[in-house]
Amino acid sequence: MKYVPVLFGLAIFLILPVVVDSYFLTILISIFYYAYLSSCWNILGGYAGQLSLGHAAFFGIGAYTSSLLFMKWQITPWLGMWVGALLATVFALFMGSLSFRFGLRGFYFVLITWAFAELLRLITLSLDVLGGPTGIYISVHTSPWQFQFSGRGPYYYIILGLTIFILIISHKLEASKPGFYFKAIRENELAAEGSGVATARYKLLALALSAFLTALGGTFYAQYLKYIDPETTLGVSLSIEIMIRALVGGSGTPFGPLIGSFILTPLSELSRTYFTKGGLEGLPLIIYGAVLIFIVLFLPQGVATWMKEKIAGYKNR
Amino acid sequence: MSLLEVHRLTKSFGGLKAVADVDLWVDKGEIVGVIGPNGAGKTTLFSLISGYLTPDEGEISFKGLSLMGRTPHEICQLGLARTFQIVQPFPNLTTFENVLIGAFNRTRGVPEARLRASEILKSIGLFEKRGFLAKTLTISDRKRLEMARALATQPDLLLLDEVLAGLNPTEVEWMIQFIRKIREQGITILIIEHVLKAVMSLSDRIVVLHHGEKIADGSPEMVSRDKRVIEAYLGEVL
Repeated sequence: MKYVPVLFGLAIFLILPVVVDSYFLTILISIFYYAYLSSCWNILGGYAGQLSLGHAAFFGIGAYTSSLLFMKWQITPWLGMWVGALLATVFALFMGSLSFRFGLRGFYFVLITWAFAELLRLITLSLDVLGGPTGIYISVHTSPWQFQFSGRGPYYYIILGLTIFILIISHKLEASKPGFYFKAIRENELAAEGSGVATARYKLLALALSAFLTALGGTFYAQYLKYIDPETTLGVSLSIEIMIRALVGGSGTPFGPLIGSFILTPLSELSRTYFTKGGLEGLPLIIYGAVLIFIVLFLPQGVATWMKEKIAGYKNR
Repeated sequence: MSLLEVHRLTKSFGGLKAVADVDLWVDKGEIVGVIGPNGAGKTTLFSLISGYLTPDEGEISFKGLSLMGRTPHEICQLGLARTFQIVQPFPNLTTFENVLIGAFNRTRGVPEARLRASEILKSIGLFEKRGFLAKTLTISDRKRLEMARALATQPDLLLLDEVLAGLNPTEVEWMIQFIRKIREQGITILIIEHVLKAVMSLSDRIVVLHHGEKIADGSPEMVSRDKRVIEAYLGEVL
């Protein structure tokens, strides 16, 4: 019975592309795209409590690997995405073992992840083999075998599928030993060690899992827009966009990032569309900022946590 | 061979010798009390044994295995658990989840761990509060939770660091009975305690530390008559 609302919601989102126009579909793709990335971030930042401001690095490795393999050797992105994900994992493990070995926590971990992502951005910017500042245009061969489709519908279903996939992973994680160990590390690392949790290993596990899945999102982005450049795929603003949806929706909860994306993504997309007339260009950012401030001030645990408490309170009455 | 053997253990902080040349052993099934004035090095000794601090010199072995160079979680997995003097809960997790995390240590799979966590919560009297977040518990309940989580790891040796501090007389009495009960279940106990009366009645043997050195080791009666111990506790009635 408890799956009825979930199935009902799923049915609506499966039918939606048939009834909505192309603009609306673009927004829906954006919503699920950010929901997916933010859910990936949530495994590391939300559950394991290791705040990363460098997820653009994993995303960028995914996007660049599959795109370069495709453009240089015509290897289909369906294959390239797994190569990218593995590379991102290796990179994450390198970064993680360095920072955890030196005991970096809290703000220092935030800074090191940010620094590693910036490093990748600057390297990509200066290397012509990687496309340099102009980035990479992905040539159009509309064929499902090349991860290219006509129209937006197929992209919508792919990102919806990825989002459902990560929600299932998060849901399974919640009730599993690794999931509880992640939370233990977030809550009290000292006590976690004393309870038999191999904290260093589990932090690396969370990081690897998060990086692997994030990189898959990078390939999706590259194939969807058919253009990548260092600024948008490796820049810190992407890392912030990813992180902030989980924080607003409720980090460390399975549905938090999805809820956060449903609040923030349409807001930024719609306000960007409707406030482009003269003199109002800055307004979207102001609205966006105001909503962020409101949520941070009044719902610091995130919307999902607030909703859960409200529902629990209603049931107990 | 004793269950725990500590040989010539030394740890300094700057110029201060917190633990100096301490020899200690705990046999299977014993309750051994560690007492000493403030700053005697009791908690440092526990941190060294449980792997949170690295000794400067000396040797620690447990079940015949050296503990040197092992991390706290490895030591916990070997069957040596500790509680913290300042309780260390997972604040935003429920009482049940706190204990469950400990229970994963030596169990296979989630259902078995859940069962184990429930059993321990029932025996320690926290089962009714299993759904409460740890941060909302009272101090005495947090002390129990600390103990429950350590017990959930299924230790063979349990280090208890001042589990009676901050409890009222009824709670102290309850906790003493509880510690006796877990010893009967086959768990060996090394306990630091400031409540002298309690630790004297509870322990088979007492070890006294003073300025990081072991100054006495023997039965409670013997230790309470020891001249050096009385001097160390000058003015205090044993």
